[in-house]
This record gives sequence, C-alpha cells and structure tokens, in this order.
Amino acid sequence: MSTAPDTLATDPRDRGGPAQSLLSINGLVKHFPVKGSGFFGRGGVVRAVDGVSFDIRKGETLGVVGESGCGKSTTARLLMHLIKPDHGEIIFDGEKVGIDLPLSEYRRQVQMVFQDSYASLNPRLTIEDSITFGPRIHGMAETAARAKAHDLLARVGLDPSRFAGRYPHELSGGQRQRVNIARALALDPRLLILDEAVSALDKSVEAQVLNLLQDLKADFGLTYMFISHDLNVVRFMVDRVMVMYLGTVAELGEGEAVFASPSHPYTAALLASMPKMDPSERTIEAPLTGDPPNPINPPSGCRFHPRCKLAEPVCATIQPSLTASAPGTSQAACLALVPQSGHTLAARLSLPVPDIESMLMPEASA
Amino acid sequence: MSILQVSTSPVLTPIARSPGYWSGVVRRVSRDPVAMTALFVIVALILMAVFASSIAPADPFKSAMLRRLKPIGTPGFPLGADELGRDMLSRLIYGARLSLLMGLTPVPIAFIIGSALGITAGYVGGLTNTLIMRTIDVFYAFPSVLLAVALSGALGAGLTNALVSITLVFIPPIARVAESVTTQVRSLDYIDAARASGAGAFTIIRVHVLGNVLGPIFVYATGLVSVSMILASGLSFLGLGVRPPEPEWGLMLNTLRTAIYNQPLVAALPGAMIFITSIAFNVLADGLRTAMDVKS
Repeated sequence: MSTAPDTLATDPRDRGGPAQSLLSINGLVKHFPVKGSGFFGRGGVVRAVDGVSFDIRKGETLGVVGESGCGKSTTARLLMHLIKPDHGEIIFDGEKVGIDLPLSEYRRQVQMVFQDSYASLNPRLTIEDSITFGPRIHGMAETAARAKAHDLLARVGLDPSRFAGRYPHELSGGQRQRVNIARALALDPRLLILDEAVSALDKSVEAQVLNLLQDLKADFGLTYMFISHDLNVVRFMVDRVMVMYLGTVAELGEGEAVFASPSHPYTAALLASMPKMDPSERTIEAPLTGDPPNPINPPSGCRFHPRCKLAEPVCATIQPSLTASAPGTSQAACLALVPQSGHTLAARLSLPVPDIESMLMPEASA
Repeated sequence: MSILQVSTSPVLTPIARSPGYWSGVVRRVSRDPVAMTALFVIVALILMAVFASSIAPADPFKSAMLRRLKPIGTPGFPLGADELGRDMLSRLIYGARLSLLMGLTPVPIAFIIGSALGITAGYVGGLTNTLIMRTIDVFYAFPSVLLAVALSGALGAGLTNALVSITLVFIPPIARVAESVTTQVRSLDYIDAARASGAGAFTIIRVHVLGNVLGPIFVYATGLVSVSMILASGLSFLGLGVRPPEPEWGLMLNTLRTAIYNQPLVAALPGAMIFITSIAFNVLADGLRTAMDVKS
C-alpha cells in the first residue's frame, strides 16, 4: 500500500537500511502461572503467547488480528517490555534488546497507545504534564518539553491553548486518544504499537483518528503495529497482517493477499464472520462455533483443529509451522498446505492453492 | 519534518501554568459549608488549647472537697465541678492540650510510615508485597486496644511511650489501605505508559502513584484522629498514658464515671468534647474526600 517514506533514509538512528526489519521477534513465549484450586492443587499455566515469531519491516503497518484471548495484547506488552518474556528474543534494527540495545534507549524508540483512553492518562495530571513526562524523564528541559507538547497537541488536532491545561476527564474519548497518541510521539519513537487504539471510539471519531494515524505515519516516518479485532479497520490500515490464534501465529502475509484469499481455515472463518454489506451475501451458518479452547490446556497438534472444518486425525498430532503454499501467497500454519504432511488435502496439493474459502463456506458463496 | 527538532513556531505562546490540583481541592472544600463548619470547630479547639492559660477562668488543679460535683450553672462554676471540686470549664479547656496532642501526633507519623510501607508493597508486588503485608497482618491480628496496652506496657508508662505505641498500632491499618489503593492504581494503563517511557520506579511513584493514592489514605487517616484520642484515654485510664491530676478528656471521663448517677451531665462533658472533636475531623475528612475527586 504505502512505501517507506523518505524520512526513513534521513533518520540518523537507522542502522541496517530499509531492507533490515525494524523489529524481529524470534520464538517469543510467555506463560502465566495460574493458582491451583485446592491447597495442594496443581497450578497450570496459561500459554498466552507460545512461540511467536515475526518481523516488522521499516515503514510498514503490521496488523495483528484474532479473537480475544489469542495473545494479541500480551504480545504487545512483551514487545514493550512491560512484562518479561519466558523465552525468545526481540531484535530492534539489528540490535538485541537488553543486550546490544539498552532497554531505556529501546523504550525511546518503541511506544504504545492503549485501548482505554481514560485509564492510560493520569487523572491528576493535565494533558500537557502527561505529554511532557516522557521527554522530561529523558532529560529534556522543561520549557523545551512544554513547547514540544504544544507542538504535538497541534499535530494531533487539539488546540494547545485550549487543551494543554485540561484534565483527562474534561475531554471526549476521541480527544483523549489523540492526547495518548501525542504522548506516545513525544519520545520520537520509530515504532508505535497501537493496541486496539481505536476500538473504544465511536465510528465517526474512529475514522478521524485512523486518518490522523495515517497522516502522522507519513509525517514522522513511523512504523505501526496495529492490533485490532475489527477486520474492516485492519484492512484499511495495514500493509501486512498477522492472524493469531491461541497464542500462536495462524497466518502472516500481505494484507490484500490475506483478505482476498486466506490460506488458513481460521483466517477464512474470521473473514466470513465479517458482516456483509450485501444482503445476498449474507452468511447463514456461523463460520466458527464455540469459544476458543482453554489456553491453560490447549489442544494437541494444530490448536485450531477442534473447530476446523478441514480437521483430520493428523491435525491432532502435528503442530504445523508457518508455510507459504506458493510464492507470493501468505504464510499459514496449516497442515493442509504442507506437502507430505499426511493431510489428505496436502497430498493432492497443486498450484494454485485450493480455494479453502469456498470449501468452508458453501452457503456464503452459493 | 523531523520531530527530533523541537518546533518553535510563532503560533506557540507560553501558556500560563494551569492551576494546580491542590489549589482546586482547596477551592472546592472552601465552598462546602459543612466541611467549613468542621474546620472552624477544629481551629477553635486548637486555639483553645494554645491559649488555655488566658481563657480558663480558674486553676484546673485547685481542688476543694466542699465544692465536689456541683451541677452545671453553679455560680463560679459555669460547667460545674468534678469529683475533687475542680472547675470543669477550666479542666476541659486545659484538657484540649493533651487530648489534641494525643489525638493528632500519632496519626501523621503513622500516615507517613504506613503509606511508605503500603505503597512500596503495592507497587513492587511479588515477594516484597508478601513480606511486608504478612508482617503487618501479624500486628493486625491483635485488637488495637490490646496491642496499644501491650506495647505501652512493654515500653513503660509515660506520655511519650503512649504516643509511640498508638503510632505503632495505626501503622498496619494505614499500610493496608495504602497497599490496596496502590495495587489498584498500579494496574492502570497510565502506569504502564509511564514505564514504557523509561521512567524508574521512584519517579513513577512520585509523579503518577502518590497523587492518586494519597487522597484515600489521607481520608482514612483523618478518621483515625478520634480513635487515637479514645485509645489514649484508655491508656490513661490504665495508668499507661497521662497520669492524674493532669487534665485530659479521656482521663477525666474515666475518673468521673463514678459520678454518673449523681451528676450525669457533668460526667458526660469530657465525652462530649471527644465526640465534638471526632465528628469535626470526620466531617472535614469527608469534605476533603469529595473535594479531592477531580470530577466534582
């Protein structure tokens, strides 16, 4: 959709050039212990994020979608180092975070906008004080920080003379989220993680904030990781999209490719669950039934197999890894796409890929 | 443009610093007639204690067996006389000194120590939290009066030791309130946002935690002022705090209890003073709680 803006080339902090990923995640794992029921009850672990690997390229917007509880937000918090990963490494522009790149320096370059616009602002601080907090921590003089806060407020569409001295509760949800964006930008980040940043806003305000985000991205040469459950918004915003299911990556690929021809049955089901604008394309049968399985004790093999229409016995034994079925298509973690995997569809796999969507949704395409 | 350079466009005019949070609290509480009445009572009590020697009509220690237990309104004894014939009015005025001292000293000290412990436990969490809070639970398990008596007994009788033991009794409940409020605030996104901006724990506590937790702790601690006065009078009664013949409301209430059938009104006067002081502090605390809410 959009190419890396020119500002990237001039950013003095850039190390590996445009070809190097801004952020590389390798085998990220986070398990949360849960207390056992009885006094001697055996506590299990919630496998919130279980072996997630992906790259965020410079200047792109990577969308992350999935049902609630799939590990989207945990991944975001792991990337921000708000919680410590159990395993896995985070490499920022070629430097391993915490080893080559000190955490404090990393935190200047990666910032986050949270979903709850009210809870993410200190109710006792004025808008201006909330924005200047970060720069002041990193040693900026007060007058310079204040000037910067006013500049950023103007950039996010809030008149500094009217809003700088206000408290969060005096603002609307959309205005607060603009403040949160300004606060995140105050440290001059290169990567902005937007964790459901527009989900709590009503539709008209959401559209304004999305447009603002697009403008800011071009102006500041930002890279976005855009987490959302709203597939329409993701389609509008992203260059590439990552579909998560139960702490693992189900599919990863170019946004248009994924939306036009999903490779993973879960992605296909997710897309089929989007409300259609055309009544004749109305989905009759629910594309996905049941809740996601308990992440404390996830299904063996492919985690999606208990709900998958393509599931076969082999799916319960082998956990698939991300595979591209053909050059140019997205990568999906599905045995049906892996040749010689033992899945009947994989055996007669021929190029181009089977049209999974029509196999799953005979009613929808009828 | 690059945001590395701070823009100094002419549009930017230096904005006057917005009025601070606390000036807003003062403004709101000053508009609350009930809280202002309570504040007036407290100021009056403090002035009474400070200028006791010039206000009191008689010597609070001068006893006369012939004037024992005079009723209210006796000429020369506007509020009657106690069981040793001492002027009640003068004793009540002088009593404000020790009673307010006993009521007001332990609370701020316990507030500082208890808040520090509770906020540390709540913010750091994990093992630190377990260590601090379980230790505090041990103290919390004792009834407060029993604990105060035990501590006073161990430290020895005397005013200072009584104050120390009351302070120690108040630390666990204040720490508990501080811990629970801090744990709540700690889970909010703005703390995460502050951590994500690279701020250290100390800075985050100073800028983001204190302002949001001190209010509720402060209100709780204000309510302890009256408890402190009652505890102190209990200690005095057991001979562990103020000793007779010093005028102190709790002690006076205890020594006059034998006269409750002869002169019930006179005997109830020190209790009325404790009651008025407690109510005044509680009402003021309530007004402050309302005024501290930014949304009001």
